[in-house]
Amino acid sequence: MQGLSGTAKIELRDLTKSYPSRHGEVLALDHVDLSVAPGEFVSIVGPSGCGKSTLLYVLGGFLPASGAALIDGDRVTAPGADRGIVFQEYALFPWLTVRDNINYGLDIKGMKRAERDALAQRYIDMIGLTGFENRYPRELSGGMKQRVALARTLAYDPEILLLDEPFGALDAQTREIMQDELLRIWQGMRKTVLMVTHDVTEAVYLSQRVCVMSGRPGRIVREFTVDIDRSVGREAVMLSERFGAIRNQVWLAVRQQVVAAAPAGGAPK
Amino acid sequence: MTARAASLLRFAPVALFLVLWQGVSTSGLVDRSFLPSVSSVVTAFVDLASGGEIAGNLVISAFRSFAGLALATVVGVALGIAMAMFRRVDGFFGPLVATTYSLPKSALVPLFLLWFGIGSATDITTVFLACLLPILVHAYHGVREVPRVLIWSAETMGATRTSVFFRVLLPGAQYSIYTGIRIALGFSFVLTVSAEMIAATDGIGKLLFMYGENGAYAYMFAALAALIAVAYLADRGLVALIRRLLRWHEQAAHEGRA
Repeated sequence: MQGLSGTAKIELRDLTKSYPSRHGEVLALDHVDLSVAPGEFVSIVGPSGCGKSTLLYVLGGFLPASGAALIDGDRVTAPGADRGIVFQEYALFPWLTVRDNINYGLDIKGMKRAERDALAQRYIDMIGLTGFENRYPRELSGGMKQRVALARTLAYDPEILLLDEPFGALDAQTREIMQDELLRIWQGMRKTVLMVTHDVTEAVYLSQRVCVMSGRPGRIVREFTVDIDRSVGREAVMLSERFGAIRNQVWLAVRQQVVAAAPAGGAPK
Repeated sequence: MTARAASLLRFAPVALFLVLWQGVSTSGLVDRSFLPSVSSVVTAFVDLASGGEIAGNLVISAFRSFAGLALATVVGVALGIAMAMFRRVDGFFGPLVATTYSLPKSALVPLFLLWFGIGSATDITTVFLACLLPILVHAYHGVREVPRVLIWSAETMGATRTSVFFRVLLPGAQYSIYTGIRIALGFSFVLTVSAEMIAATDGIGKLLFMYGENGAYAYMFAALAALIAVAYLADRGLVALIRRLLRWHEQAAHEGRA
């Protein structure tokens, strides 16, 4: 698949990334190839520390790497507003209120104040934080911060969403609510989404394609297509045989990677 | 009402200390001429205050403290931030800061005395130098410790380098910068007095030195009490200002005790 042909929104070719460390070079990503079509929702799952986040940081333009990371066929060289990133640690500006955090990206875009406020309010209402506009992040729960981070990214309307374990810090109930919210948003806006997670159920529930990464150095070892009908609602999807079968396959593939990455048995000699 | 009572109760240890002091002094445990009683210090204070001696010298000392602190804030914050952002600046000033950090600045007063003579220039230079390093080091770490995901967040929304500096690095470093200034504020009073004792014809330090030399300890303590009061109020004022400016900050919002 050629980036130049314009079919892929995101394309990684032979992406390799190593870090210098006290013990010499550590290979984080090892010849990763991946292609994501416009409007597609793809997840990457794998053992912790396998370089999943590094992959997003390279795509975000924050870290250099060898090989190629292409967006619309163009090489990524710097951060840009075409790619919206939601970080694991939310990365809200603690000195700005909920409204001003959401306004930040719109302001940089050059949007007028009145227009900006109206748009921010729409997102605040959407994420259910009406009445919390003037709160600072320290006054919010983890789930609320997560929703603000997502709203902030959606508000300035990037074509691509890069999500780094976006729901990792949430309790199980809030996580499900947020997943359904994300699914609804994606179905409505059809943005291209690349999500990194260690939650297999989450990956299968949300994405059209799930890529399994190996333990460090990270390589994509398996790929699963998730062809399920999501219009039937959460319960029906989660309880369906098809969903269960795919989930089990992905789980097994990840499990193999985790076992392979861990020292045998994990017991001391 | 209860909040008011609680805040008054915080001064109970101070009151207890004063009572003990008065007790030790009147019991004759310590020679009266070496440890004047609290009541005689109060009398001396009233005497000095009514003569205008305290007010005049306090204004002079406070001016020297704040002038030195203000200069140190301007230079320290600018240099600290520059060091945090540019490797070359860090490479040049880093070793200088590290080697002079623990040097007692009051030891330099005789040297400044030779250069600038007796008076405010010597005192302010001493205060400036003593305040400079804590402010510089705090500004440096403040900028360095802004989480990289915040910078990345701004960049990914299209922020320019200048915008990242003013809207991410500066606000992110604020708390640390203010902490440096608060530490330096304490130093500024200490160093003003030390410098004035050696190199001044006026100021609270000179007053302390004079009364000490002449054995007028009640008057010495009275002058000291006036200085402590001003230093305390200045610190409270600064803390209140920081809390107001940093309402968003987790730690700053709960500050105010120590």
